[in-house]
Amino acid sequence: MRTLDPQSLPQHVDRLYRAAWALCGSREDAEDLVQETFARVLSRPRVLHGADDAYYLMRVLRNTFLTSRRTASRRPVTVAEVDDVVTPDPRPMGRPEQALEVQELYATIAELPENFRLALVAVDVLGLSYREASRALRVREATLTTRLFRARKQVVARLGAEPADGAPRERSRVGAVTREETGADGVLSSGSSQ
Amino acid sequence: VKEPRTHTESELVDYMRSIDVRAPQRLHDSIEQLVADRAAPRGRKSTGADAPARTGTLGRRLAAGMALAAAVAAVLVVAFNNGSHDALTVTQASVLTLRPATAAAPQEDRGSDGTELAAAVDGVRFPYWEDHFGWRSTGSRTDHVGGRTVRTVFYGNDRGQRIGYAIVAGVPAPRVGGGVVAWRNGTAYRLLSVGDLRVVTWLRHGRMCVVTGRGVSGATLLTLASWDDQGATPA
Repeated sequence: MRTLDPQSLPQHVDRLYRAAWALCGSREDAEDLVQETFARVLSRPRVLHGADDAYYLMRVLRNTFLTSRRTASRRPVTVAEVDDVVTPDPRPMGRPEQALEVQELYATIAELPENFRLALVAVDVLGLSYREASRALRVREATLTTRLFRARKQVVARLGAEPADGAPRERSRVGAVTREETGADGVLSSGSSQ
Repeated sequence: VKEPRTHTESELVDYMRSIDVRAPQRLHDSIEQLVADRAAPRGRKSTGADAPARTGTLGRRLAAGMALAAAVAAVLVVAFNNGSHDALTVTQASVLTLRPATAAAPQEDRGSDGTELAAAVDGVRFPYWEDHFGWRSTGSRTDHVGGRTVRTVFYGNDRGQRIGYAIVAGVPAPRVGGGVVAWRNGTAYRLLSVGDLRVVTWLRHGRMCVVTGRGVSGATLLTLASWDDQGATPA
């Protein structure tokens, strides 16, 4: 056992941000989620049982994410506009094509069912081992493996899918809004996972 | 027409693991401020790692606001006063701390109770950090910029990181604005961002001190800078 060193936390910001982005599907929500996660972690001394901080941070990130979703679900639902979803990036990553790809990928992950999403984020985005991820998410390794397999399959299918009119899909988020508008899929709401 | 980027699960996994998107600078600044608040030393020589602090939503928002102010201030950074055209800026002082050493590393001052090196500017000594933090002095240099003498001592740790600690000679000390101010034992430590660099600047006995480290967090710099602030004077 050891106490979490607060000084070591800043080195995890980028990884947590990517994980939060994939969970939320929005960079702005991801920033809020990461800040809230670190604020929780730093609110009191933490005793860790493992050698790696990342699995513990993933656990807190998950709890914070689920809490924020529950809180958001009690608020009035506001349908998101396309302009709200595809926000211009004031500080692009330097490779616009990659930025678009990453945005599309994370938005696609954010559309997955919650359990699949968490499994994928923990292992493939955050880089935890199956064991660490199962501990962080409080599920059995076998369950995690199954969810991860299905999550990957769904993401590949969604990224490769084309809309009914045959036009290639350009951005997942636009697709998500279209489905919401037609009532065929989940609801995009402010403050939710979208 | 865009082709799908991934055709198989294996390609998807490879792609996801190759993504190296960096969090926005304002988020880094905000987290570092949270950590700095958490690590505020309660006594002299504390490493700060065991000093709990409450950080709630309000604190988070405040930190975010302060971080944003720091980001803005980084662009403004701040000339030493006197209004002369050749006045040294914090940016220039920071750059000096990144240059190579030109002289040997000063040794610990045995009479200082393990807190100071045998090197000083206008009587203001450089700190000895090796026993407490594992940062050992690795070299030094002296420059003359903007009519002032700037002496820098470099420190390194086992992870290969490097910090430069500069003391600017002369009083009155240049005045610095902007950034985020963190108070430690009555001294104002100003955290600035210069590009991707974190800079902490403050006054000791009226002399400007600047600590900079590439790849070293602002929280770490602040902890080191404020470790032994006996004799420091408010900015």
